[in-house]
Amino acid sequence: MLTNYAFIGILFVVALSFPLLPLIMAFFLRPKRPTTIKQSTYECGLEAIGDVHVQFKVQYYLYAIAFVIFDVEVIFLYPWAVAFDQVGLFGFTAAAVFILMLFLGLLYEWKKGALEWI
Amino acid sequence: MTSFPLLSIVLWLPALGALLLLLLPRNRDALYRQVGLMFTVATFVVSLGLLVSFSTPAGAAASAAAPPTMRLLEQLPWIPAWGVGYSIGLDGVSLWLVLLTTLLTPIAAWASWNSITTQVRYFQVLLLLLETALIGVFVSVDLFLFYIFWEFTLIPMALMIGIWGGANRMAAAMKFFLYTFAASLLMLLSIIGVYALHRSAIGATQPGFGGTFDLLRIVADLRSGAFALDGNLARLLFGGFLAAFAVKAPIWPFHSWLPDAYSEAPTPVVILLSAVMSKLGTYGLVRFNLTLFPEAAGWAAPAVAVLAVIGILYGAMVAYAQSDMKRLVAYSSLSHMGFVVLGIFALNGLGVSGAVLQMVNHGLTTAALFLIVGMLESRRGSRDLAAFGGLWQATPVLGGLTLLVVLSSAGLPGLNGFVGEFTIMQGAYSSPTLGWPFLAFAVLGVVLAVVYLLRMFRSAFMGDTLAETASLRDLNRQELAVLVLLCLPMVAIGLFPNLLLVSVEEGVAGVMRGILVAVASR
Amino acid sequence: MEQIQIPPVDLAVVAPLITVVGWAIVLLLVDVFFVPAGQKRITGYLGIAGLVMAGAVAAPLWGSDSSTFGGMLVLDNFALALTWIFLLIGAISMVIALDYLPRQGIEQGEFYPLIMFAVSAMMLLGQSANLIVMFLGIELLSITLYILTGFAYPRLSSEEAAMKYLLLGAFAAGFFVYGIALIYGQTGTVQLFSTAPGQESLAEYLGRQTFAAVDLTLLLVGSGLVLVAFGFKVALVPFHMWTPDVYEGAPTPVTAFMSVGTKGAALAALLRLLDMALPSLQPIWLPVLATLAAVTMLLGNLGAIAQSNVKRMLAYSSIGHAGYLLLGVMTVSERGVQGFLFYLLAYSLTNLGAFAVLIALEQRGEAAWSLDDFAGLWQRQPFLALAMAVFMLSLAGVPPTAGFVGKFYVFMAAWEGGLGWLALVGMLTSAIAAFFYLRVIARMFMQEPVRDVQPQLFRGLTLGISIAAAGTLIFGILPTLLINVVQQTALAVGR
Repeated sequence: MLTNYAFIGILFVVALSFPLLPLIMAFFLRPKRPTTIKQSTYECGLEAIGDVHVQFKVQYYLYAIAFVIFDVEVIFLYPWAVAFDQVGLFGFTAAAVFILMLFLGLLYEWKKGALEWI
Repeated sequence: MTSFPLLSIVLWLPALGALLLLLLPRNRDALYRQVGLMFTVATFVVSLGLLVSFSTPAGAAASAAAPPTMRLLEQLPWIPAWGVGYSIGLDGVSLWLVLLTTLLTPIAAWASWNSITTQVRYFQVLLLLLETALIGVFVSVDLFLFYIFWEFTLIPMALMIGIWGGANRMAAAMKFFLYTFAASLLMLLSIIGVYALHRSAIGATQPGFGGTFDLLRIVADLRSGAFALDGNLARLLFGGFLAAFAVKAPIWPFHSWLPDAYSEAPTPVVILLSAVMSKLGTYGLVRFNLTLFPEAAGWAAPAVAVLAVIGILYGAMVAYAQSDMKRLVAYSSLSHMGFVVLGIFALNGLGVSGAVLQMVNHGLTTAALFLIVGMLESRRGSRDLAAFGGLWQATPVLGGLTLLVVLSSAGLPGLNGFVGEFTIMQGAYSSPTLGWPFLAFAVLGVVLAVVYLLRMFRSAFMGDTLAETASLRDLNRQELAVLVLLCLPMVAIGLFPNLLLVSVEEGVAGVMRGILVAVASR
Repeated sequence: MEQIQIPPVDLAVVAPLITVVGWAIVLLLVDVFFVPAGQKRITGYLGIAGLVMAGAVAAPLWGSDSSTFGGMLVLDNFALALTWIFLLIGAISMVIALDYLPRQGIEQGEFYPLIMFAVSAMMLLGQSANLIVMFLGIELLSITLYILTGFAYPRLSSEEAAMKYLLLGAFAAGFFVYGIALIYGQTGTVQLFSTAPGQESLAEYLGRQTFAAVDLTLLLVGSGLVLVAFGFKVALVPFHMWTPDVYEGAPTPVTAFMSVGTKGAALAALLRLLDMALPSLQPIWLPVLATLAAVTMLLGNLGAIAQSNVKRMLAYSSIGHAGYLLLGVMTVSERGVQGFLFYLLAYSLTNLGAFAVLIALEQRGEAAWSLDDFAGLWQRQPFLALAMAVFMLSLAGVPPTAGFVGKFYVFMAAWEGGLGWLALVGMLTSAIAAFFYLRVIARMFMQEPVRDVQPQLFRGLTLGISIAAAGTLIFGILPTLLINVVQQTALAVGR
C-alpha cells in the first residue's frame, strides 16, 4: 500500500525541481556584474521610505477577519444554492440558522464598533 | 448484631462533642475546657459498658478455621458498590486498647487546662476528633473504614503538634505527617491488592461477586482455603502493611520522626501520641499482618524481630545519653515498643498476648512519665536533668509516684511492666521462629531500661537539693488524683494480670488460628 | 429532481449543547446591547442561569443511548455525566469571577459567553464519536481559552501566557489534523465506533483485521500524533512546558477553569478514542501511555516541590493530577471509566476551590501568592484557611475528602487492570505531593503572619468556595452518592 505513496513522492520531487532547476542553471550561466543600483531593493520604482516594520491600524485586521468570515460563508452557500431544490425544508432551515448566526455576529461587531474606521 | 449500638456511641460521642464545641459562643475558654473534659469523661464512662459484653466467655470457636470472634459487631452498608461497610466490632485485642484510649484522652484533656492557653476551643475540638479517630482505628473490621480512620488520626495530631508545639513545631509536624502518610500509602496499595485478589479469587467460583473490604469475610475465606494469599505477591502486600505499621509504632530504623515529634508536642498531645498512637502500629501488626498473612509473617518474623531487638537496645542506649527528660522518655518509648514488636513476631499465643498486654502497660506508664515530665517542666521552666536535683525533699508525693511509674516501666515484679515483658520473653523463647538469642538481648534491654530510668530518677529526685528546686510545690489535689488514677491500673495489672489476660488471650486465639493453620500446612 | 437523503437528526442528543451555545450567542448580544458598562455581573448571572438551564435540559436524557448526525455525536450516560461536570465547572468559574473581574479592572461582559462557549466545546468533546468532531471541539475550546488567557490585558504576564498558549496550541492542532489524516489514510474512516449496523468505523476496521497479516504503520503513527496533540492539551510530560507559565499568567478564574475543564474534556475524548475505537490495540499503546502517566506523575509533583508561588505550585500539581486521571483512562475497564469520572469531579471541585482561595488573596496589581502570604491565614480569615486546608488535603488524597476516594478509585482500577506498578508509582508520587500541599497548611495554621495581606471575600467567592468545600467533603464521606451515578456510566468498553 505504501507504493501508492511513491507516486506522490515522485511528483513532489519533480514539482520541486521544476522551479529550482532554472534558478540554479541561471545562477551558473548568467554574467555577474553587480553595481550599487542593481543591488538596491527596488531597482526600479520608488525609493523606500522609513522602516519596513510599520504598525498597521488594528481595524485593518478586523476588516480582514470579517471579510474572511463572509468569504467562507459564501463558499458554503454556493453548493446549498445549487442544490436548493434537493435538500428540502431541512436544508433551508439549516442554512437559515447558519446565516442567522453570522448575522448575530455581525450585529455584535457593529455594536462593538468594529466596523468603524477611526 | 446487637440491637443497642454501644460501640458506635463510644466511637462517635467525642465527635459529637467536637461538633457541640464549634456551636458554643465565642471567647469562653473555661467553658470549652469543661465541655471537652466532660465529653471525654463521658466517653470513658460509656466505654466501661463495653466490659459487660466480655463478662461472659465466648463459646469455643466454631472451627479451627473460623475468623476472629468479634463482639458488639455492627455492620451497615456504606459503599455497597465496592463492598465497603461501616463494620465495627471488638475482640479481646482491641477491647483494652479502646479502654486505654478512653482513659487517657480525659487525662490529656485535663492536662491541657494549664498548658494550652491559646485557641482553646480548637484544641479541644481536635482532641475530641482525635479520640474518635483513634477508637475508630481499633474497632474497624473493614479495611477501607480502617484506612479512613487511620489516616484521619494524622490530621488532628499534626495540627496539634504544629499549632501548640515548641519552637521547632512546624518542622516536627511536617515530618511526622509526611513519614506516616507516605508509609500509609503503601498500606493503601496493599489493601487494594488484597481486595482485588480476593475479588478475583472468589469471583471465579461465585459469578457476580463484587468484592468486599470486610476483614472477617476475607479472613474466613483465607482460613477455609477459598482464597489463598501466598507467594511473593503476598509478601509484598505484607510489606506494604508492615511499612505503615513500622513507621507508626515505630520500629527501628523508621523512628526518625519520633524524637522531634515527641519533644515538640505539648504534654497533652504527647501523652496521646506516645501512649495510644504508637499502639496503632503494633495493633495493626496483630490485626492485619498476622491475620491476613500468616505465611508471610512466618517468613518475615526473624528479620522483623532482629529490627525489634535493635530498637530495644538502640532506644535504651540513646535514652541513656539524653539530658532532656522528654527526649529520654521518648527514646525509652522506642525501646519498649521494641518489646511489643518482638512479642508479636514470636508468632505464638504467649508472645502475642504479652505484646497486647504490654501495649496497654506501656500506654499507662509512658503517659504517666510524660505527664510527670510535663509537671516538672511547668514548675521549673525546664526539662533538662541538670536543672533538677534532690526534688524528693521538696515534692515527696510526686517523687513517690514517679518512683512507682519508673519501676513499672523498668519491669519490677509486682507491677504491670513485669507481667507484659515476662510474657513476651517467654513467648520469644518458645517461639517457632525465634529463640534464646532474642531472649538474651531482650533481657539486656530490660537491664538497660533499669539503668537509664533510675539514672533519670536519681538525678532529678535524689542528691543535693538545688536552690532553685527547693521551693517547688508538690502535687495539688487534682494532679494527685490524675496520677493515682494512672498508677492504680498499673498495680492492679501487676497483681492480677488475669483481669486482662483472659479476654486478651481469647482475642489472640482468634488471630492465632490462622497462624496455626499456616504453620501446620508448612 | 431527486431529493438528497438527509439522515434524520435527533435534536434530543444535542439539546444541552444547543442550549449552551444558543444561550451564549444571545447572551453576547444582550450583554453588548442592554447591559451597561460597570454592571457586567448581570451578564454573569444570566450566564450561570444558562448553565443551570442546560443542566436541567440534560436531566431527562439520563439513561438514553442514542446518536445523531450519522453517528458523529453520541449521547450516553458517560457523555451526560461529563456534561454535568463541565456545566458545574463553568458555573463555579463564573461565580468566582463575578467579583474578580471588576476588582482587577478587567470587567468585560464577553467573559461569561466565552466561558459558555468553552463549556459547550468541552461538552462536544465528551459527546463526539468522530475524529473530526473531536477536532472541532478541541479548536473551539482552544480558541476561547486563548482569548480568556489574555483577558487580563494589558497585564503583560497575561498577554505572554496567551501568546505561548496560542503558539503551542496551534502546533498541537497541527499534530492532531495530521494524525487524523494518517488514520484516515489507512482505514478510510474517521468514525470511532459504529453507531448503526453496517457503519464503517475504526473499531469495525480493527475488528476485521488479523494483526499479523496487516501493516498498521499508518494507523499507529496517526494515533501517535493524535496522542501528542492530546498530550499538549492535557499537559502530559513531556508536553507540559507551557503549563506553569500559562497557568500563572492567566487570570485566576480562567486558570481554575482550564486546569480542570481542558484536562477533563481532552481526556474524555482520549478515553473514547482509546477505549472504544482502539481497545484491540491496547498491547501497543498501553506501554506508551503507562510510561507517560508515570513520568507525568513524577515530574509534575517533583516540579511543584520547588515552587514558592502557590499559583505556580498548583499549576505543576495539575500536571501531576493529569497523570492520575490517565490511570483511569488507560485500563479499558468499567472501573477505570468510573474512576476517571469520579476523580475528575473530585479534582474539579477541589482545584476550583483552591484557585478561588487564591482569588481572595489577590489584590489589584499585586498578587499575594507566595507561601509567606499564607502564613497565619488561620488567624486572619479562618474560613479561607479551613477551606484551603480541605482543598489541600483533598489534592493530597487524605481521607475523608473526595480526592482520597478518587485516588482510591483509579488506583483500584489500575491494580485490577494489571498495572500494579503504576499504582505504586502513583502512591509514591502522592507521598511527594503531600509535602507541598501540607506546607501550605502548615503555613496557614502554624505560623504567625509574615506580611500584611488583607484577604478579601465577596459573596460570589464565598459561595464558590463553600460549594467546592462542601462537595469535596460530602463526596469524601458519602462517596456512594456519586459512585452510584458513575456506575451507570460505564461505557460498553471495547464495543
